[in-house]
Amino acid sequence: METECRTKINSSDEGLMHPGHVACPGCGAAIAMKLALNALGPKTMVVIPACCWGIIAGAYPQSSLGVPLLQTAFATAGAAASGLRAALDANGDFQTTVMAWAGDGGTFDIGLQSLSGAVERNEDFIYVCYDNEAYMNTGVQRSSATPYGTRTTTTPGEGWKRSGKKNIMDIMAAHRIPYAATASIAFPHDLVRKFKKAAAMRGGTRFIHLFASCPTGWGIPSESSVSIARLAVQTNSFPLYEIENGVQYILNYKGDLPVERYLKRQGRFKHLLSPDIKSIQKQVDGDWQVLAGRVNQVNLLEQPAFAREGE
Amino acid sequence: MKKVVEGSHAVSEAVRLARVQVISAYPITPQTHIVEALSDYCADGSLDARFICVESEHSAMAAVIGASSGGARTFTATSGQGLAYMHELLHWASGARLPIVMAEVNRALAPGWNIWADQTDSLSQRDTGWIQIYCEDAQEALDTTLMAFRLAEKVNLPVMVILDAFLLSHTFEPVDIPAAKGVDDFLPPFMPQIKLDTSNPYALGQMVGPSAYMEMRHNIQAAMACVPDVLDSIEDNYQQMFLRRYGAVEAIACEDADVVLAVSGSMAGTCRQIIEDLRNAGTKVGMLKVRMFRPFPGDAVRKILQGVPKVAVVDRNCSLGAGGIFAQEIRSELCNLEKRPEVYSYIAGLGGRDVSLNTLEGICRQTLESDAPSHGSVWVL
Amino acid sequence: MSETVMPDKNSLSNFCMAPDLLLSRSSQTTRSNKTGDWRFVRPVYRDKTAPCSVACPAGEDIPRIEMLAARGQFQAAWDVIMQENPFPAVCGRVCFHPCEGACNRSDFDTPLAIHHVERSIGVHALEKGLTPSTEPAARKKKRIAIVGSGPSGLSAAYFLNRLGYESHVYEAREEAGGLLRWGIPEYRLPRAILAAEISRLEGLGVHVHCKTPVARDILDARDTDHHAVFVGCGHAHYVFPGIQGQELMVDGLEYLRSVRAGTAQDVSGDVAVIGGGNAAIDVARTLIRGHARVYILYRRRIVDMPAFEREREAALVEGLTIMELVAPVAVEAAGNRIRLTVQAMQMSGEDAGDGRARVVPKGDATETLTVDKVVAATGAEADPAWAPSTGAGPGRLNMSHCLFEERGIPIIYGGDLMSPVLSIPHAVMSGKQAAMALDTYFQSGMDAVIPRLEACRIGKGPIVSMETYCQGKARQNNSQAVTFADIKGDMFSVAKRQEPPELSPELRIKSFSPVEACLSRESAVQEAGRCFNCGMCNGCGYCSIFCPEMAVKLGEPNTINLDYCKGCGICVAECPRNAMHLETEAP
Repeated sequence: METECRTKINSSDEGLMHPGHVACPGCGAAIAMKLALNALGPKTMVVIPACCWGIIAGAYPQSSLGVPLLQTAFATAGAAASGLRAALDANGDFQTTVMAWAGDGGTFDIGLQSLSGAVERNEDFIYVCYDNEAYMNTGVQRSSATPYGTRTTTTPGEGWKRSGKKNIMDIMAAHRIPYAATASIAFPHDLVRKFKKAAAMRGGTRFIHLFASCPTGWGIPSESSVSIARLAVQTNSFPLYEIENGVQYILNYKGDLPVERYLKRQGRFKHLLSPDIKSIQKQVDGDWQVLAGRVNQVNLLEQPAFAREGE
Repeated sequence: MKKVVEGSHAVSEAVRLARVQVISAYPITPQTHIVEALSDYCADGSLDARFICVESEHSAMAAVIGASSGGARTFTATSGQGLAYMHELLHWASGARLPIVMAEVNRALAPGWNIWADQTDSLSQRDTGWIQIYCEDAQEALDTTLMAFRLAEKVNLPVMVILDAFLLSHTFEPVDIPAAKGVDDFLPPFMPQIKLDTSNPYALGQMVGPSAYMEMRHNIQAAMACVPDVLDSIEDNYQQMFLRRYGAVEAIACEDADVVLAVSGSMAGTCRQIIEDLRNAGTKVGMLKVRMFRPFPGDAVRKILQGVPKVAVVDRNCSLGAGGIFAQEIRSELCNLEKRPEVYSYIAGLGGRDVSLNTLEGICRQTLESDAPSHGSVWVL
Repeated sequence: MSETVMPDKNSLSNFCMAPDLLLSRSSQTTRSNKTGDWRFVRPVYRDKTAPCSVACPAGEDIPRIEMLAARGQFQAAWDVIMQENPFPAVCGRVCFHPCEGACNRSDFDTPLAIHHVERSIGVHALEKGLTPSTEPAARKKKRIAIVGSGPSGLSAAYFLNRLGYESHVYEAREEAGGLLRWGIPEYRLPRAILAAEISRLEGLGVHVHCKTPVARDILDARDTDHHAVFVGCGHAHYVFPGIQGQELMVDGLEYLRSVRAGTAQDVSGDVAVIGGGNAAIDVARTLIRGHARVYILYRRRIVDMPAFEREREAALVEGLTIMELVAPVAVEAAGNRIRLTVQAMQMSGEDAGDGRARVVPKGDATETLTVDKVVAATGAEADPAWAPSTGAGPGRLNMSHCLFEERGIPIIYGGDLMSPVLSIPHAVMSGKQAAMALDTYFQSGMDAVIPRLEACRIGKGPIVSMETYCQGKARQNNSQAVTFADIKGDMFSVAKRQEPPELSPELRIKSFSPVEACLSRESAVQEAGRCFNCGMCNGCGYCSIFCPEMAVKLGEPNTINLDYCKGCGICVAECPRNAMHLETEAP
């Protein structure tokens, strides 16, 4: 990873995203957008349905983006982005990339239908779901992306969420789109690589499921935003992999830490008891086995292989 | 060129002539013939447009919103349940000031599951900021569709071109289809006022607080207020080029009428006949065809109706809990006149029930014979 | 901002007073919102001290050296070494590199080969004929005499020269270098390398006078020939074990010197070497190359041997036999061989008081060995003429590596005479400390010396930095050294330590060629790249990559845009090397 670092991500302020936005301190989604736009460049248009980024984008008459932005209704990212792409093509602009940028609610739940419709049509855009695992903008209500075990305002107390996280990547794979990948703010070089790879694969749908920590909603200190995201990958709670054409699985990271390391640092999981954690470990292991069974190729990030003591 | 075409296809021909760039639609009876024809045109190359086969009406409207924001001339079509499904986004289209044109085939809302003519679907959307124009026949449908693009692009408001299910959409009539050259002169290529462009980036749809929202709404209302004059000038042009115009309203024999039948849509065609028949029989009856419903042509309606003793409004719709919607609108436009007609509200033809010559004659007679209108609507079952 | 609508061809558009479009369309940047006022803590870049720098007896700024080497900037890396140590090519071969023992990377995979990288850098400088980029200070018109041209004397001369003084090194022998020249075998330190580094010192203005012994009365001089004297003549006298027949033994240091002079006689057959220090090992490995079968006899256990472990291991690989817990008691001739009587020893369990385990004879058990030669390498001491007196008192300053005496002129005893550990880098530190002490004394008097040197410390120990002394800004040392717990292991990946090729043991002993080759430049760059750069910003850019506010501008140094920094703390948390911390925002 350090050697990758020497080939520098261009994280300088290029005016694609402006400071002065109102994201919470430590917001993973803000980091994610910054890195995504740096990878894609100025010939990009962003379509944002209702979500945290609808606010981070700025209130009239301001915008925190230096690229064109279309805010749309909650359920419509897939459809609106399809229309925008069609307009650009109709006007002869085949260079500009259209990027739909939706939260987990606007992707997994209310936006699932229009997403499915768009990707079944193999629409030529990049659809990014930045996933903070709940409806954060409206006050931390559960979504179908909220993992098993989470306390949210609609799964409070002993009613913590008993259903598992919907597997959006499986859903995308079922549509056989050219490219789907998971990415994480804690692995910025891998993230940028995937965005650049997606940008180059014009002509069809590219989907990126991007893990974006939410200190506010997860009950973690703002400074832990990136390290929690890292732990999610290292514990296989959020594996890093790519799927080409719905069938070729490429693995990017083999996690080796127990989920407890990830869970115990977050307020949203602090109610979990040992049997719950064991159960979660079993689920994670099970999902990992399924994923591992599908892997055809590995393109592993350099990763440490030393025995770490408690964090 | 005169051709016998179905009402739906009259619309499709107009859309082709208008050189629409992006079409997005979801099938629903009886809109389907419109979009099927457009698919054919796209497939055979006679229309150079991108056709997005979306998975729902809500997405159809979302897609044209996206496309219009990208600076393309756009079109969609729907009916009944589909229109209701789009409701949220109808508000969005007008709030976003996008010049989208949509053909809406008036169809009853379920349940009961009914696919026939009924205006409640489009009228339920009367608050959404769309210009609404109700067409009487296939020729008018074609002409209105062409005018709609020019109107929408002039005032930056979306336009609904409305046809009765089956009665208009699936009825074959002779239609004069203008030549492409003429239409190109009438309707030049789209020069959008709103167009996302990387060389001049801005954001559309940001959060707007209480200090600025009302002004934006007022801006829409002010644009609506211009529409009657703008439509008039567009029709001047259309008449010059294609020899036809329709007006926001059409008045027939209203000056000395004892009763004026106020009607809209395909019913107006039937009504013309009954006016002629009844006049010939000595009854002083007139007709007010209300073509543009939004913005409601209050000035024109007041001008025509102020001396009239009775107006019988025949609504193929109902605002449940209130009554016929055209009647409500007409009543409210007349309510401040010192001398104003009695407004008799009739509800007929819901769910495609036939409104025949007899029906209209009956309505006329009842109105003439009544001393006073009832407070609600009279249902003609 | 909006495109103008072209008028319709036949329009009468002016009659419609449609207002300009007013909708939710936004293009003002959010930059006017100074979100910096959300902050209650702010991130600060402040380097911390690396453990390798603390462990380096010469006080080199190792993380910076590695950072520059990793960028391929060997000249810049060499300049950093030369701030603290004039002998990179020498130390790169003979330093016992305690830095590697302190390296935080040991807790991750393998410690950095700092020693090999230093050698590479030193060799590069010699190949390119580099001279330091730091300008020496203005000439101070003071002449300093340095007695002895060993590493401490030469270092003192170098640093004094850099501080503006005229340095004269007086060496009795025909060539300079002291133990570097006459004690350390060729296979560890080729003469040519040493000569080149000494020659560079002369090129910088140090005067080296060989074959010029100095009389003891220089210390009492009151003339103005010299304004101070540095005594670095080391341990010239051998200490014999004090046993019967010891005149039959060969002086180990003398033996090494003769080998270095090319005048040694062949020694073959069985040779016993008495002693357990580095000199004993050097003697043993030299004898092995002379085809002798060598036995080291050591009175304590092998683990107690003061020789550097690496050296001991190297000797064992070459065929040395070590007999532990034996002490010589008598030596006598036996024909043309020598009979050596040794007493078996055992651990007594008590501490001898000098940190070494105590041994006592194991009963009366003695053993006899018959060998061809016995070489004594049990220790050395100073020539009494040059040995410093002990005690405290006015005009005397006991420093960690030197003794400063104010006589007619200031006298500083340093090098092996005073160093806590007898090693090359300690000798360098001794010379450096002496130079700083003298300079401070001349400018501000005796009382200023200790506080001034205090201010130049690296970490908590007595090691001092010349760069800091010269008001350099590069090093921001603080007393806390970075530990592995402060390093974000997650940001690094396991990487193989670069090892230079080595001669096989069979080939090694056939000549005095160096056992290890020098790391190639590519390998040195790669190895330097493994350095965590503990506590020091190396420009990796993660702070900037992870900042949600685009508030980190990379540069030399990095800066935080306080207009927008919300104080989330991610940059500090994600700095792989603990070069940042959070400070409470002033109210």
